[in-house]
Amino acid sequence: MKLQHYLGGLEGLGPVSTETRVFVEPWEKRIFGIHTAMMALSTQLSLPATPSSFRTVWTWADLRKGAESLNPLDYFRFRYYEKWIGGISSYFISHGYITEAELDALTKEYYADFSKPRPSAGCAVVDARIVQYLVEGDSPKRGAAVNHAFAVGDAVAVCDVPTVEHTRLPGYLRNRTGTVETVYEGTYTYLCNTGPDGIGAAMPVYCVRFDPVTIWPGNAEPNFAIYADLYAHYIAAPAAAQQAA
Amino acid sequence: MADQFNYREDREAYSAARVRALEALLIKKGIITDRSVDTVLDYFETKMGPFNGAKIVARAWVDSAFKERLVADTPSAIAELALPEGMAGAEGEHMRAVANAPGVHNLIICTLCSCYPWPVLGLPPYWYKDPTFRSRAAREPRAVLKEFGLAVPESTRVKVWDSSAQIRWFVVPERPAGTEGLSEAELEVLVTPEAMIGVAVARAA
Repeated sequence: MKLQHYLGGLEGLGPVSTETRVFVEPWEKRIFGIHTAMMALSTQLSLPATPSSFRTVWTWADLRKGAESLNPLDYFRFRYYEKWIGGISSYFISHGYITEAELDALTKEYYADFSKPRPSAGCAVVDARIVQYLVEGDSPKRGAAVNHAFAVGDAVAVCDVPTVEHTRLPGYLRNRTGTVETVYEGTYTYLCNTGPDGIGAAMPVYCVRFDPVTIWPGNAEPNFAIYADLYAHYIAAPAAAQQAA
Repeated sequence: MADQFNYREDREAYSAARVRALEALLIKKGIITDRSVDTVLDYFETKMGPFNGAKIVARAWVDSAFKERLVADTPSAIAELALPEGMAGAEGEHMRAVANAPGVHNLIICTLCSCYPWPVLGLPPYWYKDPTFRSRAAREPRAVLKEFGLAVPESTRVKVWDSSAQIRWFVVPERPAGTEGLSEAELEVLVTPEAMIGVAVARAA
């Protein structure tokens, strides 16, 4: 397990940030733009080919895996976009697009003289594809012909799958029981295969309602409910229901 | 604890230089163009942003039948409006709206990362991405809302939505009292991103 996957309900953190800006430092905009351009140029999309030399897959899952691979104590030490710099740079280095030495050398140059201009290059169709991705997205929804194991109102138990690199199952919901609130039509894929954690292939998704009193007994606020969208692989019939059947 | 004495004092200057170096290398290697990053940022200033969400909410305030359709089938209701192309685009492929009502207050969170409905809300503010918000809002939403300046009484049912799969959520806040005479355009300016995620309510100007 990783602390990053068990954030919900963690105690002792102090007051929340109420910073309403999206970007606080100008460089944060640039790393966000690089990430979004990479998602748009990623090869799994059925968008027109461009002369970009980007020839691999980059999705939210890759960004999340990068951030979540950090030592948990570093994960909380670094600011949001600081985590992105590390993950994105490592990706380009490990895939052979750039070397660590050239990135270090150029960082030194810009550190000494930030006004040194960026290179000018590129073909407009690359940027046209970026806009096209933003307009069209990358829907994870797949065929509607599926038998849903659960219906609205059913009690379901959340599994405790062996998560390795990445998961879409919040830690605080593991081994808890909830009630199906919504059965989504069709099936949904995930952006990568999460291995023993179990998602990747298309499967149903359910919105499940939980009573916080059962998640944090004696330690949750009154009169609220928590809802989570969960992939079918993460839920099962409660043991009691199985015994009764 | 890792690197306990190794937090760079020149944190921002170093990050700025590192990101500029990375962007320059990617341009040089033909991965992105010298316009790619600005293309993304321009798009978020003009096409995807909370200005779209504000239009959707203002319409829901003046047209209760639209509001019902918005909650029942969010994408098709949004498609009725004259918004920029791309409302079902990146991070908006599957959206659901939840409406506040007397006695019901909704709050959207993402405990695993920072899932957010880009087409209608743009990019998430810092507070939404902060691990403290993400962890605390799951267990003690009222205490968190109080720190944002919003008192929600115990008699109000709070619904917290954790965006853990592919659905992106937003809140339709209640129309503030005293706005009966306002036009849809005048109502739009009362709708903030904070109200559409649920850490605030809409207020009359």
